[in-house]
Amino acid sequence: MRGKDVRLDKVAIRFGGTTAVQPTDLAIEAGEFFSILGPSGCGKTTLLRTISGFIEPSDGRVLIGGEDMAGKGPNERPTALIFQNLALFPLMSVAENVAFGLEARGVRKRQRLARAEELLALVALEGYGGKMPSDLSGGQRQRVAIARALAVEPSVLLLDEPLSALDLKLRQHMRAELRAIQKRVGITFIYITHDQGEALTMSDRVAVMSRGRIEQVASADSIYADPATPFVSTFVGEQNVFPGTVVSANANEAVVETPVGKVSGRPKGALAPGAPVLVMVRPERLALDGRRENSFPARLAERHLEGASVNLVFEAKERRILAVVPNGPAARDLPEEMTLSFGRSDAMVYPEGPLANG
Amino acid sequence: MGSLARAYGRPLAALIIGITVLWILALIVVPLGAMVEQSLWWKESAGETSLTIDRLYNDIATLQLDRDSATDTEKQAALDAEIVAKQAQATELEASEKNPRKIYGLANFTRMSELHIYIFVRTIFYALLVTLLALVVCYPLAYAVALASGPRKTVVLTVALIVPYAINELLRVYAWLMILDYRGVINGVLGWLGVVDLDNRGWIPFLENPSAVFVAMIYTYVLFMVFPMVNTLETLDRNQIEAARDLGATSWRIHRRVIIPHAKPGIAVGCIMTFMLSAGSYSVPQIMTRGQGGDWFSQLVYRQFYESNNWNMGSAYAVSLLVVCTLFILLMMRLFGVGLRDIAK
Ligand SMILES: Nc1ncnc2c1ncn2[C@@H]1O[C@H](COP(=O)(O)OP(=O)(O)O)[C@@H](O)[C@H]1O
Ligand SMILES: [Mg+2]
Repeated sequence: MRGKDVRLDKVAIRFGGTTAVQPTDLAIEAGEFFSILGPSGCGKTTLLRTISGFIEPSDGRVLIGGEDMAGKGPNERPTALIFQNLALFPLMSVAENVAFGLEARGVRKRQRLARAEELLALVALEGYGGKMPSDLSGGQRQRVAIARALAVEPSVLLLDEPLSALDLKLRQHMRAELRAIQKRVGITFIYITHDQGEALTMSDRVAVMSRGRIEQVASADSIYADPATPFVSTFVGEQNVFPGTVVSANANEAVVETPVGKVSGRPKGALAPGAPVLVMVRPERLALDGRRENSFPARLAERHLEGASVNLVFEAKERRILAVVPNGPAARDLPEEMTLSFGRSDAMVYPEGPLANG
Repeated sequence: MGSLARAYGRPLAALIIGITVLWILALIVVPLGAMVEQSLWWKESAGETSLTIDRLYNDIATLQLDRDSATDTEKQAALDAEIVAKQAQATELEASEKNPRKIYGLANFTRMSELHIYIFVRTIFYALLVTLLALVVCYPLAYAVALASGPRKTVVLTVALIVPYAINELLRVYAWLMILDYRGVINGVLGWLGVVDLDNRGWIPFLENPSAVFVAMIYTYVLFMVFPMVNTLETLDRNQIEAARDLGATSWRIHRRVIIPHAKPGIAVGCIMTFMLSAGSYSVPQIMTRGQGGDWFSQLVYRQFYESNNWNMGSAYAVSLLVVCTLFILLMMRLFGVGLRDIAK
């Protein structure tokens, strides 16, 4: 099996009057594990179904391996889709499920069942061919769905939140499993999810989507460390948000008047004095002392022990501020009134824009 | 029983069981039992009895004459005894003539004439044909209704299917009669178009063809086929259809491997209902053929009851039909691999 690259060229999708996907350009490399991350309703499924051929784009083109897919149905594309609810055929045995794509291609029964057995071995389900899907656990059904999709030797595997039905433990296990399977078969995986943990742990690259628009495409590390917009910033990981107005700004530094005082940070975008902005600081970048550039007084309100780390909730000027510190002597017996601080490079200053969840 | 009492309390549990028993008695045991009992006996024919009685009285008269002319006292006594015996026999028979004897046995079933057996077999065959035709007509229809997207479309289709059934069955059948009649709607239109010549009785005799009954019957019972099918098809996860398509299956294969297997219980129920209704339908063949065309078995049953006034024979006919229908149900369940549990769904 060989992966193919997927290119979206100004693809837009409208349903009647509403636009589900804004004009989008996207380039996914061959053999890449690519995730599309976004809150539910942002258009992920629509985008995936457009790539798989169930939806024709209202505008633009979908190219797979350089070939224009216009007018090609789902059965004519080198893609296979794994549905959110898996959509296994409940009245067929596991082996028949896996062999179904080959059956549709007219492969002889003996051959296709042999191939199904190989694929079941690939997903660590040897000997399960005779069972019915309802006899399997959630994780096993998951793997059957993957084997069934791989049976048609797709160049691109499309996965629509396939882990969302599993419980947390299994989900974490399946993440590693999926990643390993992708490495083994070497084809392109396009994985959509609303769970940032999934996107960040598995993917080579992540696209973050909001309201039908892709806000940023980058590696998981840069998405977290260097989010491009207030939405990405707040959707991926936790953020402390301080609204404010620009006092002065150049390419490297912006000084902002906020409720907790004047702070300086890295500008993300063009900022003019007087412009409304959002200053964002990750909870783990807050220091429990006044030694960094930007410091302010705060009152400790809650303390939640997470295990390896401790979540501290402070109040400053009627705002809740979250700090995450490693568990240790320094995180115990804290006084109620404290001074918090963060460095200039720890703060990002965005022009005002929509945030995740409100 | 214990669990019922625990769940609902004793009085309520007793009530539930009482109602269930009553239900079973009233709907199943009593009517069926009465019918079966009726079919298993017949009254000794009265005609034969009166013949025997007549013969006895003749004998007695002859014996009386013999006795009167006899001279030997011994002979007189013997003849007297014989006369008394015959008289007693005659009196007994006279009593049974007024109140003939019930005889139990299977004769009602075995006495069916060859013609009636032929009609019976033909009715079953026709009912199977109606069921098959209805199935062919209904599957695409049910599929379209069940998978129609958007609530509006479903409502329109459902209304289009239900409204005809709000009209009385007899009306619907008579409507078809009017459509297919010699001077009916179709011949009328054809005449107007100049295809047939109505003035010289050049019409197409639709009603003389068994298919007229088929058409009306399919129309009358189509809903009983459609609804169970729609019900099961509606529970089909559309993703399964898309998954099959995504894996490269043709529409035909998707129907054969995914949709029809899923719809099996609905198809089985629909076939059973349509078969039972058409095998037992009286009004449709009676009206469509005006009692003149090839009989359906249900018409024979009717005549046994109300024209020959032989309720025992009629019951036997009805029970035979019931037995065949039951066998058909079992066969369908076997064929479609569905159990009672699936059908109840
Ligand atoms: N077939 C459709 N007809 C009309 N609107 C649709 C259709 N499919 C999706 N939408 C709309 O498009 C938007 C994106 O939906 P979807 O792609 O399913 O989001 P996601 O998968 O990210 O949760 C939603 O607002 C949804 O209501
Ligand atoms: Mg979705």
